[in-house]
Amino acid sequence: MMNETASPLQIVPNAEPVTSGRTQVAIRDLDFFYGKSRALKSVNLDVPANAVTAVIGPSGCGKSTLLRTINRIYEIYPDQRAEGEILIDGRNVLDRRYALSDVRRKVGMVFQKPTPFASSIRNNVAFALSYYEKLSKTEIADRVEDALRQAALWDEVKDKLNASALSLSGGQQQRLCIARTIAVRPEILLLDEATSALDPISTAKIEELIHELRERFTIVIVTHNMQQAARVSQRTAFFHLGELVEFDKTSRIFTNPAQDRTRDYITGRYG
Amino acid sequence: MSPFVTRRIVNGIAFAFATAATAFGLIWLVWILWTTVSFGMSALNLSLLTQMTPPPGTSGGLANALYGSAVMVLLAVVIGAPVGVAAGTYLAEHGRYSRLASVVSFLNDVLLSAPSIVIGLFVYELVVRPAGHFSGFAGALALAMILLPIVVRTTDEALRLVPDQMREAAFALGIPRWKITLQILYKAALTAIVTGVLLGIARISGETAPLLFTALNNQFWSADVSQPLANVPVVIFQYAMSPYDEWHALAWAGALILTAFVLGLNLVVRLIVRRGRK
Amino acid sequence: MQQAPDHTLKAFDDDLDRLRGLISQMGGLAEHAIGEAMRCLVDRDVEGAERVVAEDRKLDALEAETERRAVQLIALRAPMAGDLRDVVAALKISGVVERIGDYGKNIAKRVPLLESVGKIEPISLLAEMARIATQMVHDVLDAFVARDADAAVRVCQRDSAVDDFYDSIFRTLLTHMMENPHTIGQSAHLLFVAKNVERVGDHATNIAEMVYYAATGEHMTDRQKV
Repeated sequence: MMNETASPLQIVPNAEPVTSGRTQVAIRDLDFFYGKSRALKSVNLDVPANAVTAVIGPSGCGKSTLLRTINRIYEIYPDQRAEGEILIDGRNVLDRRYALSDVRRKVGMVFQKPTPFASSIRNNVAFALSYYEKLSKTEIADRVEDALRQAALWDEVKDKLNASALSLSGGQQQRLCIARTIAVRPEILLLDEATSALDPISTAKIEELIHELRERFTIVIVTHNMQQAARVSQRTAFFHLGELVEFDKTSRIFTNPAQDRTRDYITGRYG
Repeated sequence: MSPFVTRRIVNGIAFAFATAATAFGLIWLVWILWTTVSFGMSALNLSLLTQMTPPPGTSGGLANALYGSAVMVLLAVVIGAPVGVAAGTYLAEHGRYSRLASVVSFLNDVLLSAPSIVIGLFVYELVVRPAGHFSGFAGALALAMILLPIVVRTTDEALRLVPDQMREAAFALGIPRWKITLQILYKAALTAIVTGVLLGIARISGETAPLLFTALNNQFWSADVSQPLANVPVVIFQYAMSPYDEWHALAWAGALILTAFVLGLNLVVRLIVRRGRK
Repeated sequence: MQQAPDHTLKAFDDDLDRLRGLISQMGGLAEHAIGEAMRCLVDRDVEGAERVVAEDRKLDALEAETERRAVQLIALRAPMAGDLRDVVAALKISGVVERIGDYGKNIAKRVPLLESVGKIEPISLLAEMARIATQMVHDVLDAFVARDADAAVRVCQRDSAVDDFYDSIFRTLLTHMMENPHTIGQSAHLLFVAKNVERVGDHATNIAEMVYYAATGEHMTDRQKV
């Protein structure tokens, strides 16, 4: 940590405060099965709070599966199951007794393809709000504006909140999906290749957005774009064939990884 | 000859064949339409809507038949469409991994291609015989059973067209399943579902065979659904086979009205789809 | 760590190999410059010395080429981890090798000024010192191409021999100057030559530290440098 009273000539080693140090999501011995095949093998991972953790790895390594376990979205499909523990603020969310709606209120998810509902922009953002909280009309309007501002979309849509969400561009639709997700005020945001389907400018806007959001949320992103992981995250986890191979500070992973498999993947020597 | 030239020739021949085949199919269609229009036009006049079906030898209209058809189709939609949408929703949303669902889907396809006369006979045994008389209600029931599998199939497919990612996105927000289906999925698939219902209506408005065994026909004005009810297809059937010229004319007029109605419905469907696409 | 397999993109490997090749080429030219300059000094070969001075231009051109290629590699390939450290090391090493070549040029420039002098004893010591230093340069550049951190450490340890040589030559020349005041001019030149050669040894050590970091991702500890 930076020593405020240090003299200018004193070398302060590695003073960047990377994360707050608190773990928000503790994953313990997580196994995941698609039918009979094991997609995740004994994963142990501590996701730090108020930071961006990137999950990288080749196709089929289990990174999306990991994300979908955290908010139990896999439960829609009967032949998928998870074993182990995922502790969010100390409580195991994989426990059946932990209500699904509580999990999904704490953990928001944005997908690769923007999926605005066939409704107005305002309605998209307010939709889930009315399910969780009893709010007056003005309160809802305030929350909608707040969410759209946080998603850096307010200025572009404030005059057409009643317009159909489908009339927005791809990048705007994705930011709308982000606004919709953060409107319910989750603690954790999961972004599953959220910019893969967007053009470079929209991608850059969303990366900047992620950077701003990290003050209020804990963010986990899955990306197959290593440069994006390097740009955006503070911690990076490298997965290979369902195993967590290496998890460290992003700066270290990309300048001097400890594992051969990590090194081969990030330098493009894979396969 | 260079391969490029050969290809051009082959392409030309194939194109000529395709055009000829299209023309062949179109000719019959045009002929039917032309015949219907030319014969029906001459019988078109306002009395069609004001006068009842006449006894042989006198002139009259199709008022009771038009009314009866409208009532039965409407009733069939009221009975068949909600059940069809609900069943289609079940198949699409809950039935993807269930054995029962695949059985239901199969049976639905069987019903879809069942001969309509068989359905008419079924309703005859079920409703007409025990009641002792024909009725408009039985006719509506038969039409509903023809409409049902159409709506089930189109609703099922319409909902399957909604991408899974949208469902997952809604689930991820923590919204319960029923709310997702009602407020998000239906809204997204609305165009397709409505189209399905409209096409089903177009189909059942012209069905004759089942009505022969259920609603039969009624020469006089009747609004009573529990009794035989006049309807356009059966009127056409009876009048066309009769020796009376006035009746022939009325039959053609009925045919024209029916054709125009089905054509109109299809155009409406087109419009809806095009608007939905924007 | 295990030896890395080839890149999926063959062109990436080609680019890196070409960069290493440039460094090797520069190393060869620099060694030749020092060696040839020393030979000309011993043999009083003025024409040879002029050729050494002229050929320094080639080294400068190679340094510019290396810099250009390295920047291009970073922009186009976005190298990570070991690859990135290699490219950065290549950039830095090229500058140092160019400096070593400049020392050769400086030595060669003094050859005409020493032509008239008789044989001065320390010259044979100088030649030997130069031989060790150029051997260090040769070995450390081999270590860079082979990404051999241990070889780099060994090169560092030989610098003390070069320093000892320098101390000895310095004392000898000082004594010589005190005993033969009319040779002060030439002795002064020889002092500078000795200093240049000693600097070559130091530069080889610097290169060794760069090679070590590129290969391992860690910096050499002070213990290893001794």
